[in-house]
Amino acid sequence: MGIVELENVRKIYPLGKVQVEAVKGVSFCIEKGDFISIAGPSGSGKTTILNMVGLVDQPTEGEVFLDGKPTSKLNDAELTRLRHETLGFIFQSFNLIPVLNVWENIEFPLLLGKTRVGKDEKKEWIDHLIEEVGLSEWRKHKPNELSGGQRQRVAIARALVTRPQIVLADEPTANLDSATGEQILELMKKINRELETTFIFSTHDARIVDIADHIIRLRDGLVTENRRRGEEAPAACQGESARA
Amino acid sequence: MNTLANIALRNLTRQKKRTVLLGSAIAFGVMIVTLINGFAGAFSANVSENFADLMAGHVFISGTEKGADDEELSVIRDDSALTAAVEASGAPVRYVTRRSSFSGTLIFEGKKLRTNIDGADLSKETFLRDRLLLKEGSWDSMSDENALILSEKIASRLNVGVGDLILVQLETVTGQANVGEFRLAGVSYDAGIFGQMISYANLGYVNRLIGLAPDEYQTMGVMLDGLRHTEAAADAIYGRLYGGVQLFERGAKDEDGAVTPFQALMRQQKKESWQGVKYRLFTINEVLSQIEQIVAALDTTAGVILVVLFVIIMVGITNTFSMVMFERIGEIGTMRALGVRRGGVRSMFLYEALFLALGGAVAGIALALVAMGVISLFDFGMDSPAFIIMKNGHLSFFLPPLRAVGNVLIIAALTLVAVASPAGKAAKLTPAEALRTQK
Ligand SMILES: Nc1ncnc2c1ncn2[C@@H]1O[C@H](COP(=O)(O)OP(=O)(O)OP(=O)(O)O)[C@@H](O)[C@H]1O
Ligand SMILES: [Mg+2]
Repeated sequence: MGIVELENVRKIYPLGKVQVEAVKGVSFCIEKGDFISIAGPSGSGKTTILNMVGLVDQPTEGEVFLDGKPTSKLNDAELTRLRHETLGFIFQSFNLIPVLNVWENIEFPLLLGKTRVGKDEKKEWIDHLIEEVGLSEWRKHKPNELSGGQRQRVAIARALVTRPQIVLADEPTANLDSATGEQILELMKKINRELETTFIFSTHDARIVDIADHIIRLRDGLVTENRRRGEEAPAACQGESARA
Repeated sequence: MNTLANIALRNLTRQKKRTVLLGSAIAFGVMIVTLINGFAGAFSANVSENFADLMAGHVFISGTEKGADDEELSVIRDDSALTAAVEASGAPVRYVTRRSSFSGTLIFEGKKLRTNIDGADLSKETFLRDRLLLKEGSWDSMSDENALILSEKIASRLNVGVGDLILVQLETVTGQANVGEFRLAGVSYDAGIFGQMISYANLGYVNRLIGLAPDEYQTMGVMLDGLRHTEAAADAIYGRLYGGVQLFERGAKDEDGAVTPFQALMRQQKKESWQGVKYRLFTINEVLSQIEQIVAALDTTAGVILVVLFVIIMVGITNTFSMVMFERIGEIGTMRALGVRRGGVRSMFLYEALFLALGGAVAGIALALVAMGVISLFDFGMDSPAFIIMKNGHLSFFLPPLRAVGNVLIIAALTLVAVASPAGKAAKLTPAEALRTQK
């Protein structure tokens, strides 16, 4: 079984009197340590799926398994704890906390939850991450003093600070110029290799999916392609067929 | 410091204009209320102290003799026991005054007016000269035996001038009709509504009019070093008198609903009978016990103003924080995604409002204290119509610390109530909704 698994997931949004079926029964499985791209045109359901994987939203039907455990029965407090412990988030519009400086933004997730990290250990780790994303000179700056690319680097460091198993990035390069976007993707890929963190990122740009180990293509709320690099057959995790 | 509280505090600096505006509204409300509280706090002490000056004492002893057919005769014939008791009490006595008084009708060129006239030994009561400023005439003319000082209002109603002779009709202590003649020596400024109640004459002449011997009088007033010594001094003097002379019980309560301890005492006196002079001891506080009701009314008014102002301010707070919530919806979503719980989002808003309220309240109290300082610098003079509520012609304030703390707590509580609904809405948002709604 993979680190993330979706089983017949459907998501219906009520929109006034009508209902929008954003995800129409999607199943896939993601291997630990992979660099996964969820690709598809606008409105195809990428954000909806990432939200459900990220436990910020829940499916109308079906089940999301995280590290083999079903999540649909969890309450808000349990979901919040699980998010904090296993997931990191990178957003399209960076979403840094404006009143905190670079260092504090990265530190922020460590101040939540119950686990207390030693002071020196924490400082060393944050400094390491800041160096990793190349912002050593900027640690005291507020987000509004940074460029888009720099902000997204802060966001990457923040996503990694709790050493999550999975980092989710919804169109992390959409607000960046293509050169900067490429650098951000490369940085993510590098961390993916070094820390063996599973990265799932979405994009509507068909060209930048080459970098991925595993591509899931969406169209109109359905999976149209689900393949790991160099494999012919659709991607599947061990045990998945047995359970199906 | 708690991370979310820290962020809440910093969030206040984001929209400085808005923060300053709301904070000022809170500060203004608190300032007004604090000023009223401060005024009320000093009111009681000021009025009592001024009355003490007018009545010439903090602690009083008066004597009553029962006549043959049970009529009461107000007199102190031999005060040696009283003087000894006052001396032995160890109370911080500034001076002792001896006065007789009557209520009579003044007549001048066909005009009549009823007033109270106090007979005082002006050679001893020198403080009266400082307290009662004369508009016309001079204190020196009080050396005339039948000299009289009237307040401005009474003088103008009688249409008398300094040097005029005024006829007076009165009853002696035994109830006989008597007449006398005063010569107007001076006209005093109206010392507020209370000042005009008393006109001053020489003790000797008043005694003669009411039928007392020259060395007798009716009320001994003990002027202390300040109002705060009153009750302790009264207890000490009473203790010294007890057993030595005939004494009415102090401040005896009465079942038939006397409003003040003073009234209660008067009623008790009516019922009893005794031989010789029986004394009663009372204090300025007993005479003025209704002042406490005025103070309570002032504080209630302040409380009502506080609540009314704050209901208005609360609407502003609720609206502002609803706006703030929508402005920061993306941040709420981000924080929720990163692991902040619902309660965390709620408390972040509550903290922010609380800091705003506390800042505003503390600023309001500080402003009020400054205002009190400035206002109390003004000298309204001893002849101000509001003299009785002032301290030496200055408005004075005393802010009871507990009341200030109470006000801050009320404001903090009301602010939390005001922000509860937007904070609740923010907490209720699912992270997905919040992230999607962001600009
Ligand atoms: N809360 C919602 N209420 C109603 N409809 C929604 C809601 N969220 C998403 N949708 C709809 O669901 C569909 C999928 O949306 P989603 O945001 O997942 O697409 P996406 O692939 O992320 O698109 P984009 O590339 O534009 O971000 C769209 O038709 C969208 O309008
Ligand atoms: Mg999207």
